[in-house]
Amino acid sequence: MSAITMSIEDFVKQLDELAQSATVAFAAAQDPAQLDEARVEFLGAKNGQLKSVQKNMGAVPGPNRKEAGLKLNAVKNSIQTAFESAQARLLGDTGSEARDPTFDATLPGTHFHVGRLHPITQTINELKDIMGRLGFTPAEGPEIEDDYHNFEALNIPRAHPARDPLENFYLSVAQSQAEHDATFSENPLLLRSQTSTVQIRVMEKTQPPVRIVSLGRVYRPDTADWSHYPMFHQIEGLMVDEHVTLADLKTVLKLFASNYLGDAVPVRIRPSFFPFTEPSVEADYFWDGKWVEFGGAGIVDPNVLRSVGYDPEKVSGFAFGLGIERLCMIRHQITDIRYLFTNDVRFLHQF
Amino acid sequence: MIVSWNWLAEYVDLKMSHDDLVDRLTMSGLNHESTEPVGSDRAIDLEVTSNRTDCLGHIGVAREISALFDIPLNIPEPLPQSKSDSIEKYCSVEITSPETCGRYVARLIKGVKIAPSPVWMQQRLQTLGIGIVNNVVDATNYVMFECGQPLHAFDFAKINGGKINVRNALADEEFRAIDHRTYQLDDGMCVIADALVPVALGGVMGGADSEVSDATTDVLIEAAYFDQLAIRIAARKLKLHSPSSFRFERDVDAANLDWASRRVCDLILQIAGGELLDGCIDVGQKPSKPEPVTLRLGQLERLLGIEIPTDFVAPTLYKLGLEIQSSNADSITAIPPSWRKDLTREVDLIEEVGRIYGFDKIPDNVNVPMAASYRPTADRVIDKVRRVLTAAGFDEAVTPSLVPKPWSDAFSPWTPSPPLISSQPMLGVLEEYSQNIGAVNLLRRSLVPSLMEVRRINEYRSNSDVNLFETAKVYLPVGESQIPDQPAKLAVISGRDFYAVKGAIETLFHHINPAVTLAIAECEHELLDNSQSAELRIGEQVLGWIGAASRSAKKLFGLRSDVTVAELDLALLEHCAVLTPRHVNQSSFPPVTRDFNFIVENGVRWAELESTVRSAAGPLLESVQYRETFRDETRDGPNRKRLLLSVVLRSADATLTGQQAEEVCNSIISQCASKHEASLVG
Repeated sequence: MSAITMSIEDFVKQLDELAQSATVAFAAAQDPAQLDEARVEFLGAKNGQLKSVQKNMGAVPGPNRKEAGLKLNAVKNSIQTAFESAQARLLGDTGSEARDPTFDATLPGTHFHVGRLHPITQTINELKDIMGRLGFTPAEGPEIEDDYHNFEALNIPRAHPARDPLENFYLSVAQSQAEHDATFSENPLLLRSQTSTVQIRVMEKTQPPVRIVSLGRVYRPDTADWSHYPMFHQIEGLMVDEHVTLADLKTVLKLFASNYLGDAVPVRIRPSFFPFTEPSVEADYFWDGKWVEFGGAGIVDPNVLRSVGYDPEKVSGFAFGLGIERLCMIRHQITDIRYLFTNDVRFLHQF
Repeated sequence: MIVSWNWLAEYVDLKMSHDDLVDRLTMSGLNHESTEPVGSDRAIDLEVTSNRTDCLGHIGVAREISALFDIPLNIPEPLPQSKSDSIEKYCSVEITSPETCGRYVARLIKGVKIAPSPVWMQQRLQTLGIGIVNNVVDATNYVMFECGQPLHAFDFAKINGGKINVRNALADEEFRAIDHRTYQLDDGMCVIADALVPVALGGVMGGADSEVSDATTDVLIEAAYFDQLAIRIAARKLKLHSPSSFRFERDVDAANLDWASRRVCDLILQIAGGELLDGCIDVGQKPSKPEPVTLRLGQLERLLGIEIPTDFVAPTLYKLGLEIQSSNADSITAIPPSWRKDLTREVDLIEEVGRIYGFDKIPDNVNVPMAASYRPTADRVIDKVRRVLTAAGFDEAVTPSLVPKPWSDAFSPWTPSPPLISSQPMLGVLEEYSQNIGAVNLLRRSLVPSLMEVRRINEYRSNSDVNLFETAKVYLPVGESQIPDQPAKLAVISGRDFYAVKGAIETLFHHINPAVTLAIAECEHELLDNSQSAELRIGEQVLGWIGAASRSAKKLFGLRSDVTVAELDLALLEHCAVLTPRHVNQSSFPPVTRDFNFIVENGVRWAELESTVRSAAGPLLESVQYRETFRDETRDGPNRKRLLLSVVLRSADATLTGQQAEEVCNSIISQCASKHEASLVG
């Protein structure tokens, strides 16, 4: 280590002189280049004068070291302040930096691609949200169902046209058509043709009150065209409790439609026919000056309640089912259902 | 069902306006589709639901109007004059297939003069869009559209032996229909045969040989009741759909056969002359009288939610054709009419009273009790999946659940069992390019092939940035009788490389549960590249697979550019998910970062080295970060690589000293050296 010592007085003197000459030099600078020269001379990280004076601090005797450190910091700050005020003087009164004429703020920003949810998913999420706010909890059921849950328990008799083999995707595990026919059993499997099957599965396992909404894929062997697809999505609502009436159904449908369409929308119900509801109704909402079909609904048929072990004398309920594609297509003005399942990313990026 | 305004006016006094009429009909169950003017008449198209076969005739619709507007209904009572000569002298009828034909009523008219039907009848039929034939045939059509009961007129001279035998068709029996085409029949189809050959396909279409022609003088009038299922199967198999089969398929009123028969005979006598032989042949089962149904008035409010005046109920049921047996302050017991087989229970009567009273009177602002709903875990997890993947630039696809065989065979990682087969293929779901690939009739066992096709479509359309995911069920057979497994999977496809897709999955897991580490195992699938592929595991459980598509897969799916695919089990993802993370105090002391550049054998896997670094570093370790791999044979020798990594150290209690950091580094270096023969560069 160096044996040379420096008194605290000498060190302070050195610093004061340095501060003095740095302030003079900064004040004398006529342009940014001159100022920068002065900055390198006094504040330069490697060979600046401040740096070299700072090195002498080690030579100040131990007991004075703290005082030296405080003085050093004070001088450092004053030189820095002098530099900054000189800089402000040269760059203009505001103190801001000079404009860079090469910078073009109108060039496009750096984009990143955020993926889009499929419009069907977006519609489903919204419907789930609305029904959730009305107290309906989502329920899931299998897409491959048995005949019992898809038809029998829903009060759809054997002779009903809906059970025709040509109207359904019946399933087999066999390899050949011959085996396929042979395995046709009493309770064959099929891809569900409606989400009402979930009603049955939920009620079989739950005692009333029940308030569920089920959403998902359903299948019917229509040839795909602009308005048909052999696979589509449905939303099904079910509410069972003591004394649930058609007025409750109409109220819920009105809240649902008004919520989805974002306005107080008139809703009407008119008689229809479904095997699993009695009375059965078609619901319409009034939109754009006309009545638009919303979906089918009704009071759960007592046979359905009995098939799941409920007593139709004690409880009653309503159910409704709506096609999701239609709701989605009307809202987004999609003109061909096949666009939804082709998944052209240019189509998807619109939503 | 198209109805004529003028025709309806014959049964009810139509004092209301057209718009008022169709509005009320719509709101009571006969949805108004459209109205077209036809001459001085109007053709009103009403949608009739399958339970209301009674409204497939004008009288049924008129009865609805009578009940809705509270006006009288006038139904004609046909009493055709007959001669004393009895039909039984000339004709006999036998039903040998009671399962397909329940009842058969025949009448015989001799000496008719075939001519055009009168203008009023022609006009009414034309309003409905029904073709005009001659007075006898038009009369049978007229009565069908009047009451819903199909009728048939045979040229009696062509009925061999004067005998009618209602039987099932013989296997491969042939039949020439009125449309002059020959149909191949099978048993299960009901034919009307004479002593020798079939003369009509029961309920579906008459025969060419016995059809009424200008030369016809004697006509046999058939009014029969055929089984709805038998008719539907026959009509569908032969692709022969007629207004007659349409009605039988939906079931007609077996109690009304005699009225319909008398009505048509009466009309024929009026417009074609001739003499009706005395009596009729009526064979088969006469329907029994429907059972009475009791309606408790309190049940109306219980299901409809509105009070309906008591004095509205019984008159309404009466106007709809029910026979009131008893009525008091609490209940009404009534016998439904034969034409309303849909009325068998109390709830059916509640619907009747409600719909005539008007569903528009049901309020839409009642107090539905509040209930709490919750979001299922599966929904919450899938939302996270969707959020991460969309943030990573993946778009969501939705593809059909059925696939053609080559796609099904291409990838089935979850099960070796063959796929479930659908009896029907999905039609019209393939792009032109793929249309020759085979029937779309197999339930998919993986989502990846469907996404490969979506990728191809997008590539073909020159779309860039095709990164997609889908969450959907796959269908895994588990045995003959049980409902198959239908687990939900997540699949992704991307033009980015293996590590980019792996990174997306790792990021997803970091979001779902940062404590979970994905383990990598080797795998072999034809669809995936041999090297750039892996099975992903969590502990011992298989999470899924990731890999670049193999050359053969790209060829099979017609892909030009490289793709990486992955498929994961959503149930396992859901199982690991931490939906409510807990706070852990974060150290306020600064971290110390150290870089290591190890030279190791090519065979040393990152995961092994990382694990050694982690255990060597001990509790001060905050993270280990892989930086890069570098190979330089000239400096490091053959079969070696450099693995550059950073280690971040931090203590929860104090600023780390240089010495502490040094100790950790030394431990890392020595353990990597002893376990992996790793040496530091330089």
